[in-house]
Amino acid sequence: MRTAKHHHALLTGAIVVGGALLATGCSAPGESDSSSSGSDTGPVQLAIVDAQSGQLSSLGHWEANGVTLAVNQINDDGGICGGRKIELTQFDDQGDPTTGTTLAQKIATDDYAAVMGTAESGVTLAMIPILSQASIPMITSGQSPKLEQTGSEFLFMNSPTSTTFDSTLAQYLVETKGLKSVAMITNNGAYGTGEHDAFLAALEELGLTPVADEVVTPDQKDFTGALTSVRGANPDVIFIGAEEVEAGLIAKQARTLGIQAPIAGGAPIGTQVYIDTAGVENAEGSMVSTPYLSNDVSDETKAFAAAYDEEFGEEAEAHGAKAYDGATIVAQALDSIDCATGKELADAIRASDYTGLQGEFSFDENGVGLQETHIGVITDGKVVAADD
Amino acid sequence: MQDFLQTAIGGLSIGSIYALVAMGFSIVYRTMGLVNFAHGGVVMVGAYIASTFFLTVSLPFVLAMVVAVVLTAAIGLVIEGVLRPLETKDVDLMLIGTIGFGIVLQALVIIIWGATGRAVPTPVFRQPVTIAGIVVRPYDLVIIAVAGIAAAAMWHFLRATKPGAAMQAVAMDPDAATAVGIRVGRSNAIAFGIGAGLAALAGGLAGPVLYVSPSLGGVIGIKGFAAAILGGFGNVPGAILGGLLFGLVDAFSASWFHGFADVVVYLVFAIIVVVRPEGIFGEQTVSRA
Repeated sequence: MRTAKHHHALLTGAIVVGGALLATGCSAPGESDSSSSGSDTGPVQLAIVDAQSGQLSSLGHWEANGVTLAVNQINDDGGICGGRKIELTQFDDQGDPTTGTTLAQKIATDDYAAVMGTAESGVTLAMIPILSQASIPMITSGQSPKLEQTGSEFLFMNSPTSTTFDSTLAQYLVETKGLKSVAMITNNGAYGTGEHDAFLAALEELGLTPVADEVVTPDQKDFTGALTSVRGANPDVIFIGAEEVEAGLIAKQARTLGIQAPIAGGAPIGTQVYIDTAGVENAEGSMVSTPYLSNDVSDETKAFAAAYDEEFGEEAEAHGAKAYDGATIVAQALDSIDCATGKELADAIRASDYTGLQGEFSFDENGVGLQETHIGVITDGKVVAADD
Repeated sequence: MQDFLQTAIGGLSIGSIYALVAMGFSIVYRTMGLVNFAHGGVVMVGAYIASTFFLTVSLPFVLAMVVAVVLTAAIGLVIEGVLRPLETKDVDLMLIGTIGFGIVLQALVIIIWGATGRAVPTPVFRQPVTIAGIVVRPYDLVIIAVAGIAAAAMWHFLRATKPGAAMQAVAMDPDAATAVGIRVGRSNAIAFGIGAGLAALAGGLAGPVLYVSPSLGGVIGIKGFAAAILGGFGNVPGAILGGLLFGLVDAFSASWFHGFADVVVYLVFAIIVVVRPEGIFGEQTVSRA
């Protein structure tokens, strides 16, 4: 039974709670004093958004390492814009575009100068409209050709697109190695679809059609059906457009089914995860198209690998190198404009002239920075440059 | 015909793994009326423990599997113990608790072993054998055989042993079981432990075929769960049949429908469940009046 006293207590409670809410609403959400918006001192905030859980978490882990290494080195060297340090905050997008958009909205309302990430194109495509509206540049390691078509001034790629990967690879396979009968196995995720379309177009340009064009799902574990069709087509080479683990499983099962044709593909084929999953004997002879062949290519890559190993106790690889390049470019761009943000930062990144671990960067109006890749062959469990 | 048989064998092999996972779901559902959403995570933990003892500690594979089953069963006991207070109050809360445990297990695995995962080489009979033009991976046959033995053992346990009979009694009527002196809490703990052990078996066997990573439990967990429902949730022979069927549907869909394989598999599952909601052999669980 409600009494007057009860009403009175309720009213008081409501006023107290309402007052508390108002009070918190007046201060900036979740901000500490040292990094209020538009400050000229204090650390520069960068966000790393990547998959830290789920199937693609290894990509996220490598990318986060690459960014962290670059930023630690820059901070140790004295920081940017007259002594300001770069502060990193890591976000887990779980490899899921929906989670990515939620994170993008959070980042857009906080005070981040730029976003490093994500490693996969689907999530990046989901996040870029929100980040563009907030004028926050995003540097992604994704390579789907769709990333070139967003029309956003704020998206940059620290990797060549699938188109570049695959036209380089197709030319090598067809013209240099003379392998004319090509079978394709790709998955229908964001990366796999990009690879499928790009490689098909590259073959068409050379006047060829594939002898098999099998599509599998990203979660698939058994490829007997697709591989049996491929075996029937008797190809000279099999192009795989899938992530590291799936590509490794496909290669392993292909050999079990008696398919001896060599494997070819983009960056995932050059990773240790692929070699381990497929098994060293099955991975032998696989041909990789990648801007980062291995850690031993040059003095810079060797130094990078050594520093990476010292910091994380792990062997460096391509995704870490991409992210390292991207983070360094952002830091230098910030430095050149005295840590301004927004469109000015985007323009500064676009104007960057930087030679990184992967080669020379020169961003076009679509945000693509690298226009070529190299070909490597897996020999004795390691990627070595192909002699052409 | 060759292609058909080739696909069928692959389907039976992955189906055996689904069957083991489904049995784990069913045994817990049957005795406790609880859908254990930590099950997928337990499969993953089992895979990690088995592969660690096999690769890093260099135990023979069989021994590594035994260790994994025992340790994972212990983890199952811990989960049940932590969630036991919720059991008498509200099973739905316990279900949410298992969801939480699933997330915790995945996070723990990433902390201990890192996010990258590891590939496990096939432990026995690496060379494939060609019989009448069909390539057979002997390890696939090993998986099918082990699943079969586990299924037979489960069947025997429930029918012919005292703890198994006690578990059946608890499933029929927990109050009456308590009245005749059966300790319901302990019986449920054993059920959870067995479920976890089966999960470890599935994960450990699956490691060499798939790839041991923090997401291993995700897809296998969902498909195993669907397989359990297909066969009749709570029914152990149903779980086995459901698992094998699911594996076959999986393999043939991949073969015929390529990129749409997943769509077809779940569509088939949805149709069967709509036509016969109780599953092939009928649902069996504890009645909570």
